[in-house]
Amino acid sequence: MAHKRIGKILSALLASAVFATALPQITLPFGSSDISAAYAATEIDGHSFVAESSGYRLYMREDDLSIVVEDKNTGAYMESAISYDDGKNNASWLGAMKSAIVITMINGNDDTQQADLINDDVTINTTKSDKGFYSEIYWNKYKFGLTLNVEIDENGVKAFIPDESIHEDGDSYYIGTIALYPYMGNSYLDDKSGYILVPDGNGALIYLDDKEGRFKSGFSGFIYGTDIGFDESDVTTLLKDRYNTISDSEKVIAPVFGIAHTDDGIAYLAVVEDGEARASIECIPNGVSVDYNRAYAKFTLRKTYTQPTSNNSTAGSLHIFEAERSHSNLGVRYIFLSNEQADYSGMANAYREYLITNGYLNQADDSYNTRIDFLGTERESWVLGTTPVVMTTVDDIYEIYDDLKTAEVTDILSVYKGWQKGGLYDLPISSYSVESKIGGKAKLTELISDCAESGIDFYLYNNALLINPDEKNATFNVVKKINKRKYEQKTYMDVYEKLLFLIPTRSDTLLDRFIKSYTAKGVNNLALAGITNNVFSYNYSGSNYTRYNTQSSYAATVSKVADSTKLIMEQPFAYLWSDTQAFLDMPLYTSAYIFEDESVPFLSMVLKGSIPVYAEYVNFEANKQEFFLKMVESGSFPSFYITKESSAELIYTNSSDIYSSEYSSYKDTIVEYSEKLKELGTQTEGAQIVKHEILENGITKVTYSNGIKVYVNYSLQDETADGITVGSMSYEVGR
Amino acid sequence: MKNGIKKIIGYAILPLMLAGSIFAGSTASAFADAPYKTYTVDGYGSVTETQTAYLPYKTITKIGEETLLTPTDFTLVNDEYIYILDSGNARVVVSDMDNELVMTFGEGILVAPKGIYVTKDRTTYVADRDAKAIFVFDKDGNLINTYTKPTEAMYGEAQDFLPLKIVANKSGTMYIVCESNTNGIVQISPVEGGTFLGYFGTNATSANLWTIIWRAVLTDAQRAKMQSNIPATPDNMAIDDKGVIYTITRGENNDTLKRLNIAGVNMIETTDFPDIPAAVAAGNHDNVFVATQTGFIYEYNNDGDLLFMFGGSDDGKQRIGLSTKVEAIQIGLDDKIYVLDSEKAQIQVFEPTEFTAYLHNALYFFSKGRYEESKEPLGKVLEMNNLFTYANMAMGKALYKEGDYEGALKYARIAKDGDGYSDAFWEIRNVWLKKNLTWIAIVIVLIVICWNVIRVLHKKKHILDKPKEALAKIGEVKLMKQIGYMFYFMRHPIDGCYGIKREGRVSVLSANIILVVSIVFYVINKYFCGFLSKTVRDGSFDLLSDVGMILIALLLVVSCNYLMCTINDGEGRFKDIYCSLIYSFAPYVILTPVVFILSHIVSNNEIFFVQFGNLCMWVWIAVLIFISVQEINNYRIGETIKIILLTVFTILIVALLAFIIYVLWSQVFDFLQSIIGEVVYRIGS
Repeated sequence: MAHKRIGKILSALLASAVFATALPQITLPFGSSDISAAYAATEIDGHSFVAESSGYRLYMREDDLSIVVEDKNTGAYMESAISYDDGKNNASWLGAMKSAIVITMINGNDDTQQADLINDDVTINTTKSDKGFYSEIYWNKYKFGLTLNVEIDENGVKAFIPDESIHEDGDSYYIGTIALYPYMGNSYLDDKSGYILVPDGNGALIYLDDKEGRFKSGFSGFIYGTDIGFDESDVTTLLKDRYNTISDSEKVIAPVFGIAHTDDGIAYLAVVEDGEARASIECIPNGVSVDYNRAYAKFTLRKTYTQPTSNNSTAGSLHIFEAERSHSNLGVRYIFLSNEQADYSGMANAYREYLITNGYLNQADDSYNTRIDFLGTERESWVLGTTPVVMTTVDDIYEIYDDLKTAEVTDILSVYKGWQKGGLYDLPISSYSVESKIGGKAKLTELISDCAESGIDFYLYNNALLINPDEKNATFNVVKKINKRKYEQKTYMDVYEKLLFLIPTRSDTLLDRFIKSYTAKGVNNLALAGITNNVFSYNYSGSNYTRYNTQSSYAATVSKVADSTKLIMEQPFAYLWSDTQAFLDMPLYTSAYIFEDESVPFLSMVLKGSIPVYAEYVNFEANKQEFFLKMVESGSFPSFYITKESSAELIYTNSSDIYSSEYSSYKDTIVEYSEKLKELGTQTEGAQIVKHEILENGITKVTYSNGIKVYVNYSLQDETADGITVGSMSYEVGR
Repeated sequence: MKNGIKKIIGYAILPLMLAGSIFAGSTASAFADAPYKTYTVDGYGSVTETQTAYLPYKTITKIGEETLLTPTDFTLVNDEYIYILDSGNARVVVSDMDNELVMTFGEGILVAPKGIYVTKDRTTYVADRDAKAIFVFDKDGNLINTYTKPTEAMYGEAQDFLPLKIVANKSGTMYIVCESNTNGIVQISPVEGGTFLGYFGTNATSANLWTIIWRAVLTDAQRAKMQSNIPATPDNMAIDDKGVIYTITRGENNDTLKRLNIAGVNMIETTDFPDIPAAVAAGNHDNVFVATQTGFIYEYNNDGDLLFMFGGSDDGKQRIGLSTKVEAIQIGLDDKIYVLDSEKAQIQVFEPTEFTAYLHNALYFFSKGRYEESKEPLGKVLEMNNLFTYANMAMGKALYKEGDYEGALKYARIAKDGDGYSDAFWEIRNVWLKKNLTWIAIVIVLIVICWNVIRVLHKKKHILDKPKEALAKIGEVKLMKQIGYMFYFMRHPIDGCYGIKREGRVSVLSANIILVVSIVFYVINKYFCGFLSKTVRDGSFDLLSDVGMILIALLLVVSCNYLMCTINDGEGRFKDIYCSLIYSFAPYVILTPVVFILSHIVSNNEIFFVQFGNLCMWVWIAVLIFISVQEINNYRIGETIKIILLTVFTILIVALLAFIIYVLWSQVFDFLQSIIGEVVYRIGS
């Protein structure tokens, strides 16, 4: 520890010597940036000045292209390379810690070799401009190269690699992954106070304290979920050799991460702008291999996979890599924040502003609604084939609405699942044909129009991704993995054992057909699922399609659908947000990694005030009160999955995991939650969450742009904040 | 009054427990969803998912500033202190509930300690394997006693003393699990510096019929080479407040978990046992917890019924609540679960969710027989999970006690609780009979009167002539006659066979019709018989394989029998053999509807009638088959037996042949596919 401190002091002395001339500008008032430029330091930690914008200065080191971004107003800066070497790291780690670009190469069966700008024979041609610089980089031994662009603007810096600049000329080394500025905003052990923002679930923080080497790995999450086109190679211990007890981790819904150095009053929010569909976000605390905290985006260009050559898994197989790399520009935008904005609230604000400015998020009606979803019919096995299990008919829904009306619950949004002919899993839905057991087409259409009149938002549910091979012909138009084997989603249920994925163009065609026959009846409310939260690589009729293809297909499909319907989506990924009127199934928790120190409602903070956010179903929560407070904290609206009949009826169906849904057991909860959350929802309607903080005594304080403050107390005893006493496991609203 | 208070306390604890999840003091804790799923079993014993039962609450990695090195055991004392056996450092670390260090002791005394037990008055027992001794410390950490290998002859001169785990009861009697001591748990009394009381809770060795036969056949030398059949040593144990000892032993199947009374007799049996149990602990509601080395935690009620399974192995992704190598488990007074992971050197604490709190509440009342009070928490549990088997079963029983038999029936059916269902059904039927007995009597009397009136009228005016004629006409139709021959055949098989063989009294068509009817009856009886007689899961249907199996079996039997008969001077033609076999199933066609109806109106008390009816039917069928084989081929009894055995043998040979052909073909198929697969890949790239 001691030698580290000495090193730190020395470097600080050095820096201050260099800085001597720059110091006065820190105290200068705003708007004098042109003057302060004259005082700019010419060098920080070996990085020389390149360019500046109204708010920031960019410094760069020629040999490893590492950068330093300095806040002109405060003088605080963040570096993309380590400035202090603790002497414990080998050459290859040091290479990774300093290089702007770190590549893992594929060479035969080996996909672990590293190429960087320090340890390898590299030719770098850098051209500087008043906006930044661009460098043509070529690895002479491995015979591949690319161009890195770094530009500065008033909000921060963007690092960018154009797709056409990436070229591989050799035939033994290929690019596997590219990590861009992997140590941007790094810090050593607990040298800086602050945290890394992790896009896990709704959002999580990893504090920059000394982790004492407790963790073996950090967060690594593929943006928009893992790729079903490739087989997972995880080894898990199964319960009774059969059941995987570990639940899937939450998907990375938005391509963001961030680092805040709260003591320096500087932070950045990184948005993976280009190539995000095939990139992962890595947030790694100190103690994992090396003692530095870091966060970065890693783009995948090629992946190895196992190509079986027979149906018998133990027989032959080849371990190969994708012949063609995926094509997309790669880019990360670092939005810098200072002073009181340099925290996760600031990051959420910045991201919201970024989304709105660029048209990625539109204003929708965000008035309060209780979401009450219904399950129409399911199917169970019978002597020959299957027989319907009717759970909630159209008449039942009328009845439930009437009943709720007498209890003064009128602000309702409903999604009707399993309305289609053949029940919930008769997929895909290609026309508006309604199960007669729930009342038939005329009745359902009437219900939808009646709802519209009485102010209830009633949507029909359509999973446009899945196809049920037991009900529909699934020989063609289904997704095969990159190894040309059909992808099957196992249900572990009795009636339908597996479901397949439709290829994006087929989803588009069928959805189009459905919408035509649906809107012809004068109704157009649609709740879309499946294609809203899945992106994958696949093989179809001999060609490979990348996640970029899937993403752009889905984006086109969804924007077309949004034009002709009133569209809400189930857990949509960030690239679809501009087309949805509501966000369904927002996770309120994280995946519970041990290295995460705090969970924060980051996504809710971004979306609140723009589109209404509905939480996951209350039904399946074991701790109802805690979940309720989580909804209060994040400004989410409650969701219930309701059936008229007892869910015991579902025991022999594929929905046997719905173990609790009967209306009569949920009515009281619906009424209670609606009353409380509506009051809150009305007060915060149209307002954004501008600040979220956890106070000393543990109270969570959420501040809205209209001045409303919500205090949530999760603790065992009453606590007081800002003069307001909040009861244990309770909340209060103040101004 | 006391009940009331208990109830109030129970409910008052609930919100506290929820709230507890948020602040966990100084240790790492983030409240979050559990990264693991929770499972329970349904009425058929299949594993199904349920709500999260326990959430990760906190992780204790440090006691004050002390870190642990491969801790192997710990004891929770009154929810005030945690005594951790820090084996890697050969010491005992005492922590308070806020993970502040209270003291350490045992340094310099302990060598390779493996087990620890601390009494309520904080007397510490440490089992030290390499020191071959039990060390006893007082509450200030002073060594007060050492027990070494018992000197009693009964212990065994050659038997080493390598203590691994220890518990002690209120009178200070120690129960010790020793390494490689297969005699059972060593029981030592503290009197006279340690008196060996004997072995306790010895596991039984198992010998199935096959091993017994095998051993009888083998020579002594061969027998010596066989895997020795010695009882397994328990892996770990626990003691509850009443002094009842729980043991776990891996590989003992249904006896993996045992609850031993004072005489060492096992009082529970569980069908859902873990494979690699590492530790066991008694809960506060007559429940038992077992942790596996791989990190799964099982909770059982006092009958050994599985309530929950959750947790899991850390697959390297490092999510909260997953373990690497579990060594010990303890239950706090507030139902929190403490799990010691020796590889991670940490104690993971789990807290029960609202759902589990309700369930525990219900368990408590239910096990005390206070069904009325158990209904409220059970209702809450069922509201949250309609399908939770234990709650459904308990609710059924509670309603039964109350006299709500319809309700009891419904819940017992969901829980697949046969006994409960039967009891409720008996009561319902009883009530129905009482209510309708008069009517039934009246109807019977009316029928008798009608019958007599008709008979008298018929005598006088022959009113029944026309219907009788019509019936006779139908009977005269050839096919009807052939089918009707079934009734004659089953009563007079020898003559019946003659009729089939010589007189052409039946046809293939009539046999086919009987076959189809039998299959239909079989299917109806299999899937729609009364719940108590049902042999398949509710809601599962597999018609194709049912029919397929029957047809394949029939084809095999008939053709193999025919083949054997032709080379053994049998007289039967293929058609005769086929027809006589089908006609031998006549009792099935006639009795199955009766059995089917009976299955809907009997409870477990009378199910004997159904079973007996079934038995009679099958014996009858067997006799018919035997006689028809004999008569159709004109064999003597000895020949018939020989032919039947030969037929069975031929069937086995055919089955084997089919299997070999299948395997060979699938190999060829795989090979071709491999070639095509590789060619396609090579061309494709």
